[in-house]
Amino acid sequence: MAFFTALGALVPLDHFGHYFHWHFIYLSLSNLIIILLMIATFLAAILAPFPGRKSRKEHQ
Amino acid sequence: MSSKRFRPDVDAPEYHGRYSPYDIIKEGTIAIVLVGLLTIILAIVFGSPDERAITIKTWSNAAPVDFATTALSELNGTSGTAQYGAPYNTASTGQQLGPLQLSKWVGVRIPINTVKDFVISPLRAMPSQPALRDALTQWISASTSTQDAWVANYTKAADKLTFTNSVVTVPAANAGPVPIFINDLTQMARTGALDQALITESGYYTTDYTRPLLFLADGAYLESVATKQHLLGTQWGMMNETGSYPGQAWLWLYSFWYQIPPFNSSWGANADVLVWGLMMLLSALLLLVPFIPGLRSIPRRSRVYRLIWREHYRDQK
Repeated sequence: MAFFTALGALVPLDHFGHYFHWHFIYLSLSNLIIILLMIATFLAAILAPFPGRKSRKEHQ
Repeated sequence: MSSKRFRPDVDAPEYHGRYSPYDIIKEGTIAIVLVGLLTIILAIVFGSPDERAITIKTWSNAAPVDFATTALSELNGTSGTAQYGAPYNTASTGQQLGPLQLSKWVGVRIPINTVKDFVISPLRAMPSQPALRDALTQWISASTSTQDAWVANYTKAADKLTFTNSVVTVPAANAGPVPIFINDLTQMARTGALDQALITESGYYTTDYTRPLLFLADGAYLESVATKQHLLGTQWGMMNETGSYPGQAWLWLYSFWYQIPPFNSSWGANADVLVWGLMMLLSALLLLVPFIPGLRSIPRRSRVYRLIWREHYRDQK
């Protein structure tokens, strides 16, 4: 039993969490975090500089 | 020879700038390794939802009165499944997309007679029950009008239905074998035998859970559990997961329409097919962007590409 307990999650999320409720928008905090991370990833893909920019410039 | 006019968004101009080497294999390998590592780390830290499945046994032990009331609704034809229409029966028109009766077109592909499939057939599978065997014989040999009268008499008294000392009791008169059916079906459900009987109705080795799931959905217990766990359709439907685990957030647009009028009000009866139709329309628009004047100009006019390739445009200056 202890072996299976050790295999369990370090931070299990089985408990009910917090919910964000604004007019008809009603979603869990975890969903909201995922959505914000997706938006942040999208913005990073647009705004972050391409890797290897410095070495390319030095090469030129 | 006249040269053809250049059409932005349709014609591709010839590129005269410099080229840079790009190793897609290297980039793909890095992406797979990083996502793989992230998946393993997140699995170790957070695990995954591990809720026990709700069965008819769970339900009938937790809420025997709700189970017995639902069993009666299967017998008197007032349950959600009994009145659903296609693909289970012809009780209603089903979902309509304007004048198109799509459910009727599909027809009854999974025929379910709630009296026979949810009550009588499972009870007939019960071994060595003389009283039940006699009750079933009485039911089968009675006319349809007599059966209807028994069920109606039981239904009239059903608001006084109680579950005391592990027995379903209803003070109903002239209800024929119906009290035995409802009580025995409840006892059968509480042992787990009804789960098995409903699954094996369509064959001995099967993974078809249609019947037990429909029976469960007809009761109030499943909805009450879903309400407690924030899993109702009104709570952004497909985005939900048990506990605090994140759900399928990328399906937000599909579930979004269910939350606003007219999909959640005057169009509510046909919301499923209307939302599906709307999403098909939006998906078609997305697929056909290169062919739709105006819409296909948005990337060029919004100039987001200049932000992504700002280094290149800065060098050009």
